[in-house]
Amino acid sequence: MKRRILAILLGLQVVLGPGAGLARAQYGRGWEQLTPDEQRRARENYERYQRLPENRQRFMERRYERFQALPPQEQQRLRQNYERYRELDPGQRREFVEKYRQWKKSGK
Amino acid sequence: MRCTQAHELMTATVDGELSLRQQRAFEAHLTDCAACRDERTATERLLAALEALPMETEVPVLLEQETLRRVRIAAAEEAERVAASRWWTRLRVPAVALTALAALVLVIVGRNEVGQREAELARTPAPVAKPAAENFARTRAPQTEDRLAAASEPAPVAQETHKAPQGPPPALAARPDLFMELPILRNMEKLEHFEQIETTTVDGQPRSDAAPERQRG
Repeated sequence: MKRRILAILLGLQVVLGPGAGLARAQYGRGWEQLTPDEQRRARENYERYQRLPENRQRFMERRYERFQALPPQEQQRLRQNYERYRELDPGQRREFVEKYRQWKKSGK
Repeated sequence: MRCTQAHELMTATVDGELSLRQQRAFEAHLTDCAACRDERTATERLLAALEALPMETEVPVLLEQETLRRVRIAAAEEAERVAASRWWTRLRVPAVALTALAALVLVIVGRNEVGQREAELARTPAPVAKPAAENFARTRAPQTEDRLAAASEPAPVAQETHKAPQGPPPALAARPDLFMELPILRNMEKLEHFEQIETTTVDGQPRSDAAPERQRG
């Protein structure tokens, strides 16, 4: 019983902790609340999005809904992984894509 | 930018990862390089197909072999095509330089002529000059620039993007989060299974020293 209570408390800390608060705070912001740098990035991404074929746009919409439905700590984990992915140099990134292909092929 | 640099950035550009400056240099290179344009299209298709591939699908061996065979054939054909186009590439630089020089000469000559005409017009009384100019505009046959303008009608949209930033488009203002997170959305599957992918070897086997995956989405 004690363990269960401890697990619940730990879970609550993860969900309601400072990191989760940050993740929540980053969401649901209006355009005016973004920093100029964030506005610039959002605008660039918007232009990229506009260039996507319609079916890809719909695909992204579905992913966006799925992403929003994720728990805050999982969203945070994806953001951290994205930072790791972004820091890969071109050679490492190619290697990662190749590994991704292999991973996908193996159907894990 | 050279083709080798463009190839290095190919995956990053498809992922939407380049800085605006890199993206512009990349796009500028693509306007001149059909081979890199094709490469980008192929990379986009490959990554999109990979993402869309259901994870539980086992690829039949025969299909895989056939696909790889086709890829090899396509690669060999591409190599031949590139080799064949090299002589043209060598010729292209002097050709472009000559064309630019010819254009410069035409501009200089044209300016001189315009200057002379303006000087003549300045000497001529204004009421005569104006109807003549209007007449010319009404009666002249469609010129190259008219046709070009007609052909590039969608261009104003592209030009608008170069204007000084004003308010966001409604779709962007309604959901800035979607566009803020677009790179993550594009790579979502990779990011969800990042640790597991990272520990996969290129021959498809997990590394023996791989730590167990932290979380699986």
